[in-house]
Amino acid sequence: MVGETLRNLLLIAWLLPLCGFAVEIFGGFWGSRRSQVAAWLAVGCIATGFVCSASALTIWGNSNGWAVLHRAGHHEAGAADAHVAHDAPQTPSAAALAAADAHAVEKPAEAAPAGTDDPVTLAPKADEHLHDAHEHPGQPQTAFSGTLYRLAAFGGLELSLDYYIDSLTLVMFTMVTFIATCIHLFAIGYMSEELTDEYVDHHAHLRNGRHVHRPGRFYRFFAFLSLFCFSMLGLVLAGNIFQVFIFWELVGICSFLLIGFYTERKSASTAANKAFIMNRVGDFGFLIGLMVLWTYFGTFKFADTVDADGHVVQAGLFQMLPRAPDGNVIINAANGEVQIGSATAANPTNRHATIPYALLVLAGLGVFAGCIGKSAQFPLQTWLPDAMEGPTPVSALVHSATMVAAGVYLTGRFYPLFVQEVLLTIAYIGCITAFVAATIAIVATDIKKVLAYSTISQLGYMMLGLGVFGWGAGLFHLVTHAFFKSLMFLCSGSVIYGCHHEQEMPKMGGLWRKMPITAFTMLVGVMAIAGLAVPGLVGPGFGQLFAFSGFHSKDAVVATALAFVQANPAHFLLFILPLITAGVTAFYMFRLWFYTFAGTPRDHHVYDHCHESPLIMTGPLMVLAVLAAYCAWGGEEGPLYLLITGDQPAYVATGIPVAGAAGLTMPGHDAVHAVHHQAGTYALIAAFSGTFLAWLLYGSGKVDVAEIRLQLSGVHGFLANKWHFDELYDALFMRPTHIVGRFCASIDRLIFDGILHGAAGATVLVSKWDRAFDETVVDGLVNLLGNATWSAGNWLKVLQTGRLRQYVMFIVAGVVALFGVLLATFPR
Amino acid sequence: MSLSAYLLVGAVLFVCGIVCMATKRNGIGVLMGVELVLNGANVNFVAFSKYTQLGLDGQIISLFVIVLAAAEAAVALAIALNFYNNHLTIDVDRANKLKG
Amino acid sequence: MSSTLMLSAAAAPGGSVLFVIFALVACLCAVAVVAAQTVVRMAFWLVLSLGSTAALFFLADADFVGAAQLLIYVGGTLVLLVFGVMLTASGPYLKIATSPGEIILGAVVALLFLCVVVASISGVSWPEPQVSDVGALQTTAGNTLRPLGLAFLGTRPDQDLADGDQLSPGYLLPFEIVSIHLLVVLIGAAYLARAKRRAVGT
Repeated sequence: MVGETLRNLLLIAWLLPLCGFAVEIFGGFWGSRRSQVAAWLAVGCIATGFVCSASALTIWGNSNGWAVLHRAGHHEAGAADAHVAHDAPQTPSAAALAAADAHAVEKPAEAAPAGTDDPVTLAPKADEHLHDAHEHPGQPQTAFSGTLYRLAAFGGLELSLDYYIDSLTLVMFTMVTFIATCIHLFAIGYMSEELTDEYVDHHAHLRNGRHVHRPGRFYRFFAFLSLFCFSMLGLVLAGNIFQVFIFWELVGICSFLLIGFYTERKSASTAANKAFIMNRVGDFGFLIGLMVLWTYFGTFKFADTVDADGHVVQAGLFQMLPRAPDGNVIINAANGEVQIGSATAANPTNRHATIPYALLVLAGLGVFAGCIGKSAQFPLQTWLPDAMEGPTPVSALVHSATMVAAGVYLTGRFYPLFVQEVLLTIAYIGCITAFVAATIAIVATDIKKVLAYSTISQLGYMMLGLGVFGWGAGLFHLVTHAFFKSLMFLCSGSVIYGCHHEQEMPKMGGLWRKMPITAFTMLVGVMAIAGLAVPGLVGPGFGQLFAFSGFHSKDAVVATALAFVQANPAHFLLFILPLITAGVTAFYMFRLWFYTFAGTPRDHHVYDHCHESPLIMTGPLMVLAVLAAYCAWGGEEGPLYLLITGDQPAYVATGIPVAGAAGLTMPGHDAVHAVHHQAGTYALIAAFSGTFLAWLLYGSGKVDVAEIRLQLSGVHGFLANKWHFDELYDALFMRPTHIVGRFCASIDRLIFDGILHGAAGATVLVSKWDRAFDETVVDGLVNLLGNATWSAGNWLKVLQTGRLRQYVMFIVAGVVALFGVLLATFPR
Repeated sequence: MSLSAYLLVGAVLFVCGIVCMATKRNGIGVLMGVELVLNGANVNFVAFSKYTQLGLDGQIISLFVIVLAAAEAAVALAIALNFYNNHLTIDVDRANKLKG
Repeated sequence: MSSTLMLSAAAAPGGSVLFVIFALVACLCAVAVVAAQTVVRMAFWLVLSLGSTAALFFLADADFVGAAQLLIYVGGTLVLLVFGVMLTASGPYLKIATSPGEIILGAVVALLFLCVVVASISGVSWPEPQVSDVGALQTTAGNTLRPLGLAFLGTRPDQDLADGDQLSPGYLLPFEIVSIHLLVVLIGAAYLARAKRRAVGT
């Protein structure tokens, strides 16, 4: 019942933007280019979606009595001593054994107050349960799944549209729809220039040097935004990995359409191509992962397929990889491979009982490869800065809050199937990405590019968090990042709009006097991302006012990283680099703020003409600013974190003592909590030093930045060239492709065309010979006959002199000769 | 007297007529040659009529020849006169329009 | 041949002497016709030659033929030729000479021809005419007129009487044809030689 209600609400929220898209794209084409109807229709659809999502969240919470929020007592009441004793990896318990049996232990409704220090009863932890579709008697269901529509069945493989609703889904839905609503409203103001029948694009030139004149595309922008919202929500709602892939591609298409919105600009269309193609490179790995999954697991669905009676017809992916009580995957003693399913897990379509460990790693890496492409991780990160060619609302919605977060979301969703080697890879990639992008952002001058690199860096942070076993930390950072990054993008959009499409920071300065609201909201966002907090005043209750959301989420990631590195000292980089990156993040974000809003104006033309944006743009800014600041109220005890981690995998909380072939120790919650305070201190120090350095260089005006740039010109050049990644990829991939292309073209030209031309030439030659033969031999023969006849006649003509006497003479001579012959041959 | 003599005479006349036809440039001269030829043939016929069993037929044929010779002479002369009227000369060498 | 020649000469000495004379005259005059330079002289020699031939006819007992020769040939045809000579004379006794090469060539060919003919004559052994032959002439006085006339009218008494069964057709048809022929010739010659405007210059 609850499940159906939730399903219907989320279906409405999901499908309404699709209807909006259809109406907008057709209606807008035939309607007036100057009407805003398309935009308000899109806003209506997405706002309704937000209402539905929020209602769904409420209903969900009410259905299980908001039990998830009562877990807070676990950390709160438990002083450090209660947990220190349990720092070590937990001993397996009977309940955990039963949990490993794929029939979940639902969260106990009593939400055990963690005050019970009994080591035995502590075992069934309150926050420990598996994803499950069953209705366990006595326990309210928190995760719902089912099939919406069956697309096709190929033998044992069934492709269908499923849904999977748990707390993470609901949080994501609410977040996406809310941010999208704000951005839709903002875009109505930002894209108002397109409300004309003739729009002059100053960045696109025709061959004769004139600018491009074209009709305005206001309606089309909102149609694409609606389509994007539909795709993103479909991805979040997906109940099987194949459906994720479908919507994965759909968001890719929408991103392509939106990046290349200004189609006449070469830079925009190139950037759209680059984004889509690099995503496809990642999707190649995704497909490999899907293939492995299908071969060994035989199904794509996340959760069990249940028939009408409640019996499990087909086990879901998450159930088919059971974990031992210590959290490891179970190795079959017979052939050394990983066990698939168990005696109680129904698996009619699957033929394999075990999967080789290497293939499981491959499947995980394959799926993660798609995430690398989608979330702009190293090495596929170069498309995201170029994607800033799209209008700023697109950057805010797609390339900061939602689409790029889809990769992180999938990593989180697919967590139970990632083994530790995969997680380590994820962690390292995220770490490298975070560091590289942060360094590039130091020297970027385009305001949107700084934010783009910041996005890449923060996505790296999220991946790092997920990789070091901080499932909740990574996803927590995802949500907070969505809020403050979209806020900052919208602020930059406001600046760009106010400065009449000026995007270069060296031309700005001192704008806070002209654009106070924008400046203030931007400051809120910057403080959030920097992870600033007032150290001594942070605490429960009103103390939360002194810590912004970024502080909490970044804290969680850094703490998890520290716990991981303490457990596995060989991977110390996984803590050092994020810490340094935190400082760098604070530095470049405050650099951005000081450069743009503080100081004296550097370009008076820009300064004089700039103005504050209208209310329709600054309204969403203010709303988002509030959320960006305080959405993570309460930190890891706050409602957001608890909601996100409501349905986290069980073994995440406990940690895994010796995981995988690499023998890593994955820290559990207790381990993380032990170092939380220490990590937080480190992070705060890093953030403050970054902020101070930024103020010193850009805010105070005491240090000449240009001189530093000159002195460190080598480093600066290297960073300004984005670590030469574009040149590297150009040399590694573009040039060989061009060479191969040229080679193929030359084969085409030389061999195939050569054959054709040769054949043609041979035909011409043959025809020439034929003609020559015809003319010389045949004609010659005929002419010869004619000529011979003529010359014979000519020669004989001589005889016919016309002289009578000669004729007579001939007669006589002839007769004489005749008679002579006769007489000679016939003698009498 | 004897057949051979007559035949000889006829041969001589004939040959002279042929030579006359072949060599004379005057058209009338050619016609005279024709007369001689026919005459020689007449002598032959008459000789044969006398000295063989040809008898009267030889003379009859000879008469025919004479008549036909006369006719032919008339026509030929008409042609020659026509030619003379057109070309103001009777030189047969001038009559070479049929030259190839 | 030579034996017959001598025999014949011995048989009729008077006839043979006349024969020789007239034969010589005829031949020499014929040669003279060839050798003459002007056409008028040719005409003259021709007259003599034809006259001698007529005499030869008389000697060969072909009296009517001889008479016809004199009348028609000499008296008609030759006169006609002489008229032609006169009418086509563009200048008095204009000499139209032949080149010496042609003369020699003509002479050579003539001699050759003569040799051929003589060879053929001598090569044939002519049978002697028998008195009993029907085809032989019955008369020696030369009264061939009546038989000729009858022959032209379609009867051949000399032949019909001999066979008894078959009637010979005679020469009536050729006679008629020749008369028509003469008529045609007359008309044609008259037409051809009609008076026309003289061609202006040549």
